[in-house]
Amino acid sequence: MEAQGQAAPASTGERLYRWLDARFGLGKLVGWARHKEVPVGGHSMVWYYLGGATLFFFTVQLASGVLLLMYYQAGEQTSYESIRYITTKVPFGWLIRSIHCWSAHLMIVSLVVHMFSTLMLKAYRRPRELTWLSGFVLFAIALGFGFSGYLLPWNELAFFATAVGTDSVKSVPVIGQWLLEVMRGGPDVTINTLYRFFALHVVILPLVMVGVVSTHLLFIQVQGMAPAMAHQPKARPGLKFFPDFILRDLLLWLVCLIALSVLVYLLPYGPGIPGMEWELGKKANPLAPAYPGIKPEWYFLWVYQLLKEFPAHLFGMEGPQAALLVVTVLMGIWALVPWLDRRAGKNQPSPMFTDLGIAAIVFMAYLMLKAWDIGGGSADHSKLPDPRSTAWTCSLITLGIGSAIALLRILAYKQRWMFFSGAALLQVVLNGVFGVDYLVAGAIAVLVVIAGLVLTLRKQPGATLEAPR
Amino acid sequence: MSALLALVLLLAAADPAAPAPDEGKLPASVEKLFEEKGKDGKPILGDTERAYLKKLPLHTRELIGKDVDAVTLGGAAHLKVLLSLELSSQAAAIVFSDNCILCHADPESQKKIHLFSADPKATGSNELLNLKNFVSDVHFRRGLSCAGCHGGSPDKDVMTPDIAARWPKADVRHQDRTWIPEFCARCHADPNFMRGYNPSLPTDQLAKYKDSQHGILLLEKKDSKAAQCVSCHGVHGIRGPKSRLSKVHPQAIPDTCGHCHADPKYMAGYQKADGTPLPTNQVEQFKKSVHGKALLEKGDLGAPACNSCHGNHAAMPPAVASVSQVCRTCHAQNATFFDGSKHKQAFEKHHWPECEKCHGKHDIAKATDAMISAAPDGLCGACHAENAKDNKECNETALYFRSSLTDLVTKQQELRPEAEELATRGLDTEPIQASLEELKEALVQTRTRVHTFDRGGFDQGAKAGREAIAKSESLLQATRSEQRYRRNGLLVSIGLMSFLAVAMAFKIRELSRRRAKDNEGRRTP
Repeated sequence: MEAQGQAAPASTGERLYRWLDARFGLGKLVGWARHKEVPVGGHSMVWYYLGGATLFFFTVQLASGVLLLMYYQAGEQTSYESIRYITTKVPFGWLIRSIHCWSAHLMIVSLVVHMFSTLMLKAYRRPRELTWLSGFVLFAIALGFGFSGYLLPWNELAFFATAVGTDSVKSVPVIGQWLLEVMRGGPDVTINTLYRFFALHVVILPLVMVGVVSTHLLFIQVQGMAPAMAHQPKARPGLKFFPDFILRDLLLWLVCLIALSVLVYLLPYGPGIPGMEWELGKKANPLAPAYPGIKPEWYFLWVYQLLKEFPAHLFGMEGPQAALLVVTVLMGIWALVPWLDRRAGKNQPSPMFTDLGIAAIVFMAYLMLKAWDIGGGSADHSKLPDPRSTAWTCSLITLGIGSAIALLRILAYKQRWMFFSGAALLQVVLNGVFGVDYLVAGAIAVLVVIAGLVLTLRKQPGATLEAPR
Repeated sequence: MSALLALVLLLAAADPAAPAPDEGKLPASVEKLFEEKGKDGKPILGDTERAYLKKLPLHTRELIGKDVDAVTLGGAAHLKVLLSLELSSQAAAIVFSDNCILCHADPESQKKIHLFSADPKATGSNELLNLKNFVSDVHFRRGLSCAGCHGGSPDKDVMTPDIAARWPKADVRHQDRTWIPEFCARCHADPNFMRGYNPSLPTDQLAKYKDSQHGILLLEKKDSKAAQCVSCHGVHGIRGPKSRLSKVHPQAIPDTCGHCHADPKYMAGYQKADGTPLPTNQVEQFKKSVHGKALLEKGDLGAPACNSCHGNHAAMPPAVASVSQVCRTCHAQNATFFDGSKHKQAFEKHHWPECEKCHGKHDIAKATDAMISAAPDGLCGACHAENAKDNKECNETALYFRSSLTDLVTKQQELRPEAEELATRGLDTEPIQASLEELKEALVQTRTRVHTFDRGGFDQGAKAGREAIAKSESLLQATRSEQRYRRNGLLVSIGLMSFLAVAMAFKIRELSRRRAKDNEGRRTP
């Protein structure tokens, strides 16, 4: 009977926990984790897991990158050769390289989707402006990772893509040439360029990335995830962070790992889309003629195409200079969205910024499709693609995507404010269907938006530019 | 300090070595030409001509001034013609010091029949008097100008009686072309003379020509339709055989020969040694042949043109006995194997041309494995039916060759795509590709060894091919096994991860149900 009254002996786990708790005060952490909740809004919970998926791919990048580093040797006579050695001789070397490449692209995909979902849910609104900004910085760093890592195999494709990519830096006013030489380690792409890209890729960017990711996560932990907006239905109670949310997060990570494994096995050199392929090919030869049909990685394609759309000179500026100015302004607007969207800051609906996101998708999709020369009639580079038929086909596809999104917004979400996305589609139609110059079409679209907004204001005196609540 | 500065300035001013500044000043007489106006009232010479003249060295500008003063340069229009040639400064110095060119390029003083023009079509002058061609002529570029062939002296102001005295009279020389070879040979057959210009150029062209069919016709039978030097090399625009614009560049030779030999009217009356008319379809056949396609379509200058088999200056149809000697200059291995074969004796006995008998001559097609066949459409059938019909071994050997080659080719066609497929799956197929290259090389060797017409000789090549196939198959087997290992590894990993994922999904569902119950419990007091 006495024995029954005594407490059961503590398990090893419990004893370890007590030991750690006595030293590090784990109780507080456990208490915090037990009470932490993730708000559940009227929208799908899927969007909450994309940041975690991005983090997962980043972790895979770190692990596979370290493994590659064990065999990779930067140098004119060793870079290409060591990658070749990794993929052909090192046990599971092919697997590690392929995982590194696939995971890099999937990280950018999940990051972009995460960013757009944050925009659509207005999760950036006060007080989470800095979380958005740090996310934007992470996006820029991820692009930097892609750009610097591309050159490291020192193959033909990487060499010429880097030469074209770095060349655009020349357009920066005043310091362009200096900046180009700093980036390249000289006036041309040489092995010195690879050395500094290598340092950037394996030391500088990972350190910065880990720092900014930590800050981003800290912000989220301190402020919690953004709750649903005031006008959205808030039917359900919050979801416990631990273990409910964590378990779902881990499940997604596992699904991502399965998907990664299948992709790596079935398509070890990528899906074969220009800007998303990593077959080693021939070693870089600076004296060889430029690689035909050279294109940057898919996430830079819209900038690449925009540069092509600009004439040699525009308003006293060089074409590339003007194009990069446009890209900088657009990126600036994107980074400052939490401060520009005042209605969301007041927890009011802001359809203008929802539409801005859709317009960005239409704008970039059209440019990307054109950069892929879809409909141009030359997949094998035997002849130059026809720009007119490319524009025609790409405009029809973009129009299809844009119309489908618009229908979904109208029918499922009862959204009506579509000035920006309408203007982006107008530009696509003018350029692709009617053959109007891309920039002229853009100017017409901007004028139509301004006229539309002015007319709306005149019809409803005292109305603001935004939709009623 | 100021004294030092003064000294430096003084030294700089007094430097005798410093050249006088030359700003491309033109002689006064040349300047005057810029005032001349054409029929439309506009100046004939403009800024382009002035810019060109200014770039010329001082002595060339002075030379032009002297030409104007001596009236060998007749006026602005005359100067414009010469400047339109865009000559280098060295070539300009030659042209402006040669009175023959100067006078014969003056549109004001020359009759059209004697007028050298930069564009004969536009001026209506003789097409052979094309100045642009003339200044790129190989003779002109080595310093030999009009006087070199026509006689006279380029520095004299008037025509002298010795000009053209070394030629037959105009009415004779255009009808009777027999004088041309000897005339060119005055220099080209003289080793001492040629040493001063082009020591590497042979000087036996005339001797060879005399023995050629063309030479016999022209010099012995006095047939002026027969080709001589000018027929192939041209006149007033002669270029070396390496120039793509030359009539004797390898790719131009079929058309140069075809100019006469593909013209039925021109060739009417000419016969072969057996008395049959000389055909005129050789060029057409050659262009469709494997050699013609290589030379004219693929741009392979190593491929033979007409002269490769017939010779250049000693052009003759190769005799039956020498046909194979011509072919073996390139296809040496095939010829050596043939020499050691049973066929050699048989061919000699029947006086058959060796290679030509099976492969043809001007219309040689790409050799295929299908040619080795005793069937009527094959190469062996017709001859063997007539000359060796009782020899069973021949047919068996032909069948063996054919089946062996077919086996090698079939295996090659099977293995290559499989290796490529595995490469796209990320597997290391370099050793397989190397082995398949060995097979490719062995196939070339085996096909060459068909000319031994002997199983033993043939098998030396085929054996290497069979070994390459065995090696490729073994490597492919190992690579396929690696692929299976990867696939199984993936399936096991996916299986484990999926199991874990399903377990987690159940746990999540259980948690969700528990939370829902808790929430309901809270709502109902």
